[in-house]
Amino acid sequence: MRSGLHGAKVANRRAPVNGPMSGAAILFCKKTAARDVLIRPILPDICIYRCMLYSAASPETTTLALCTVFFKIMLGNGMMNRQSYFSGDSLSGDKALPAAFGPDQRSRCDKARVNQALCMNNLITKAAIVGMAFLVAACSTTPPDERTDERDTFENANRSIYNFNMKADTYVLEPAADLYRSSVPQGGQRAVDQHLRWAAMPSTAINSTLQGKFENAGLAALNFLVNGLTLGFADLTEDEDTIEQEDFGQTLAAYKAPEGPYVMMPLLGPRTGRALAGNVVDFAMNPLRVFGSGKEVRSLRQAQAPVGAISFRAKTFDAFNEVKYKSIDPYARTRSFYYQIRLGLLEDRVTGTSTTSEDAFEFLFDE
Amino acid sequence: MNSLPLTAPVTMSASAGLRSMLTASLLMFAVVIGGLAVPISAAAADRQVAATAVVEALISDVEDLLAAKDVSMDDRRTAITAILDAHFAMDTIAAFSTGPYWRAATPEEREEYKLLFHEVLVSTILGNFDQLYGLEYTPGKTTPKGDRFVIVSGIFADSTGARPEVAINWRVITRKGKPIRLFDIEIENLSLLVTQQQENVAVIRKNKGQFSALIDVMRDRVPAQ
Repeated sequence: MRSGLHGAKVANRRAPVNGPMSGAAILFCKKTAARDVLIRPILPDICIYRCMLYSAASPETTTLALCTVFFKIMLGNGMMNRQSYFSGDSLSGDKALPAAFGPDQRSRCDKARVNQALCMNNLITKAAIVGMAFLVAACSTTPPDERTDERDTFENANRSIYNFNMKADTYVLEPAADLYRSSVPQGGQRAVDQHLRWAAMPSTAINSTLQGKFENAGLAALNFLVNGLTLGFADLTEDEDTIEQEDFGQTLAAYKAPEGPYVMMPLLGPRTGRALAGNVVDFAMNPLRVFGSGKEVRSLRQAQAPVGAISFRAKTFDAFNEVKYKSIDPYARTRSFYYQIRLGLLEDRVTGTSTTSEDAFEFLFDE
Repeated sequence: MNSLPLTAPVTMSASAGLRSMLTASLLMFAVVIGGLAVPISAAAADRQVAATAVVEALISDVEDLLAAKDVSMDDRRTAITAILDAHFAMDTIAAFSTGPYWRAATPEEREEYKLLFHEVLVSTILGNFDQLYGLEYTPGKTTPKGDRFVIVSGIFADSTGARPEVAINWRVITRKGKPIRLFDIEIENLSLLVTQQQENVAVIRKNKGQFSALIDVMRDRVPAQ
């Protein structure tokens, strides 16, 4: 599979590129028909949003379908023909869009003949990184005097995406998480958590090695091998808690890579540029992606992202809702949480050490 | 020190005398430094003990409130208010929670904000109070932080096992001549006070640096609690 750069050349030859999103969008799809839609400067167009979201979130069919459901519900275009989305046949050719779309959107998308499956498959890791860079660049920076935090270079755009994320949460993730925590037994939820944790072990092992944390790397590798017998659903070791998860963003930080801008990703939530780049590499280290080839393994892999999102939301249900519904500025609070948690991870902070530097309190005593 | 050679035996050799001088000097140095060091470590230890006592007193009061039966909402609100006032440095917390904008605020704005902040905090705790049932606290180590703070660590565990353990750091402010009080709570590397400050500052900055905008937002929230 070639990257979307080939498609970009074709696009430039056949049609003018319009709008600030064009460069990024073209990278996502190489089909000419898809390009015709993606270069549309009309951002609310559902086709554009879908391709952007697939790129941003995860090139997985389930995530793709979930993104579509998000938008469908948000836009209130009637009932969703779910079967057409979850079956492979409907994701290609002229039947790419279900009848549930409004006539206007359907005609727009049908006319362009967006081949969603192909679009999705074209999203290789490198393209995702470049695409994200384009997306970020496409967003105009917020002037310093309008920012509520100096680190938040794209605050206006980030706030818009945050609002979208919260709507998606309200209509999809929150009810799903509520259902998950009330209907799935504790044992089942624990098994899901263990599997997700196990899937991150190769990444932890590699990143720990790169950071010189060889003991942690060894433990992670051992945990991965032993629990691999059950695909991580059952914990056959007893030292799981002693393993500190390490991601590639932390490795980049260990090598003094700059933090990059703060970006609010559609559906993924807050990231720094460095953490986002790390996510892409970590994604490639998913053991089911590397070793799995069967239909069942593929299905399991495709379910990881949405199930992980639901599991996380269920585990933090009350705290999340506290921020979402009761904060005076939920966006600012989320940003503060993210930076503090990330800093704790980067400094490998453990229980009994304080998050806040003493300097943060000094101004109080200057008077 | 000069007297030491005079007390040495007359028969002592020159090298032995020199060694005695050196030993005596070191001993004297140790006594002087030790004399200084002991009060310092004692002061630090006192601060740590006092900070631990503040946390223990808070836990005890909360446990009493949780154990009390048939407590009305109003009574619970009163009890929570009393606990906050008794164990937390509320005025200092309120000042810190607005960051650098505290200095720009007028005395009237400061007073109003303090009242609103207190009210919102009580309402928030009241709304989440039921989540404290079933939690068990295990104290951990105590660490002095500079001259003004002591971090008291601990772990909350759910007796039912439904919720994971949560590591907590109590930041206690220990200033000379002022009562020792709780200043901040850090839960799993998240400082509640720093978070509140960054949120409040964001609200003020969104409104062109107007401190009164924060007061308006807070005022709107109070009746909704």
